Amino acid sequence: MVDVNDILDCRGEVCPYPDVKSKRKVKKMGSGEVLKILIDYPLSAERIPETLKSMGNEVLSVEKVGNSEWEILVKIK
Amino acid sequence: MVDILVVLLPGLILGIIFGIILQRGRFCMNSAFRDIIVLKEFTLIKSVILAILISMLGFAVMAFGNIITLNPKPFAPVANIVGGLIFGMGMTLAAGCASGTTYRVGEGMMGSLVALLGYSLGAYITKSGAWSEAKTILQTYKISEVGTGANLTVFGSELTPIFMLIIGIVGIVVVLYFWIWPMLKSRKTADNKMFDFSDIGKKIFKNGWSWAITGSAIGILALFAYVSSAATGRNYALGITSGWAGWLKYWITGLDSALSWEVFLVVGIVIGAFISSMIAGEFKLRSPKDGKRILIQFIGGLAMGFGAVVAMGCNIGNTLSGVPLLSVGSLVSTAFIILGAWFLAYLLFMRK
Repeated sequence: MVDVNDILDCRGEVCPYPDVKSKRKVKKMGSGEVLKILIDYPLSAERIPETLKSMGNEVLSVEKVGNSEWEILVKIK
Repeated sequence: MVDILVVLLPGLILGIIFGIILQRGRFCMNSAFRDIIVLKEFTLIKSVILAILISMLGFAVMAFGNIITLNPKPFAPVANIVGGLIFGMGMTLAAGCASGTTYRVGEGMMGSLVALLGYSLGAYITKSGAWSEAKTILQTYKISEVGTGANLTVFGSELTPIFMLIIGIVGIVVVLYFWIWPMLKSRKTADNKMFDFSDIGKKIFKNGWSWAITGSAIGILALFAYVSSAATGRNYALGITSGWAGWLKYWITGLDSALSWEVFLVVGIVIGAFISSMIAGEFKLRSPKDGKRILIQFIGGLAMGFGAVVAMGCNIGNTLSGVPLLSVGSLVSTAFIILGAWFLAYLLFMRK
């Protein structure tokens, strides 16, 4: 298990808030910290990991935890 | 009475297929346009471009084969500009374009359901209610082709079909060479297989689709839609706005005549997206936590309905179906839908 420094809950949020919020959150966090993002919107669950990767961060895991619910773990670069 | 074999079933079946494609491909033009500036992401816009190119080539071939007659939308500059801008800003507030909002209702997103109600209402009252006068005034100034009086297309009514053929072929080759080939190549180096057909059921119904599959599927579906819709007397490819306006009109007036091919198409989209999201485990009734957001989505929907009727088409009627016909009106509307979306996306998501 990795230590999670912060959790961002984007469940119920509409397009594109999950994407924009995670991007802003990640920018604010320090290097080496781990963020857990909760998502219930399919498009964002696929796209957020891609966006965060292209920003240079390390996506540790994307896990489907329930009906249309995902958890993304990302380590800030 | 509604003709079941010509209107109801074909509209509904094509709608269901469209809904499945939209849901699997997460095909939303609002996201496609916005991602370009907000996330610098080009995946969805590639889908849109590929779908347009395939439709363009297909429509041209079918027109030369006398299977369909091309029917580009008119050019009414003021209406296209004002309607496009308002539609573009509306879809940013509603969190989805016409097709995106429709398929998300099938996924169980209650915010989109509210947006859709606003959209149907806005479209209906602009078509034939309290806002129809504004529409008439904005659409008064029209520019038609000199000589023939035909609706204005980029290369004129005589040459446009030939250019559709050329642009379609060249465009598809360019997309294949610059976007699809590199994608397949990188896949090959990754796991030594360019096409992997194992677990095909899982790939179709559980995973999201790649942009190339989604774009091709929509482009091809549009060809069938054109033929099927023309058989009902509506000589055009896919569209959403009149479908929802007609749907609302039916409930209010009780007139069977309101139940057009397009009404069954949009209802089919919701059903298709529901089926597809259920299979994928992506269906969930959910709503934004913030009540304000739901109100904003409703207002966005109203604006979309107004804008789409004024501009004579939403992102499907104008962008997906009208741009392939090289209609000047559709191209101008599309440009201003994008500008409207970018303007609000900039204000809401990019400042600070």
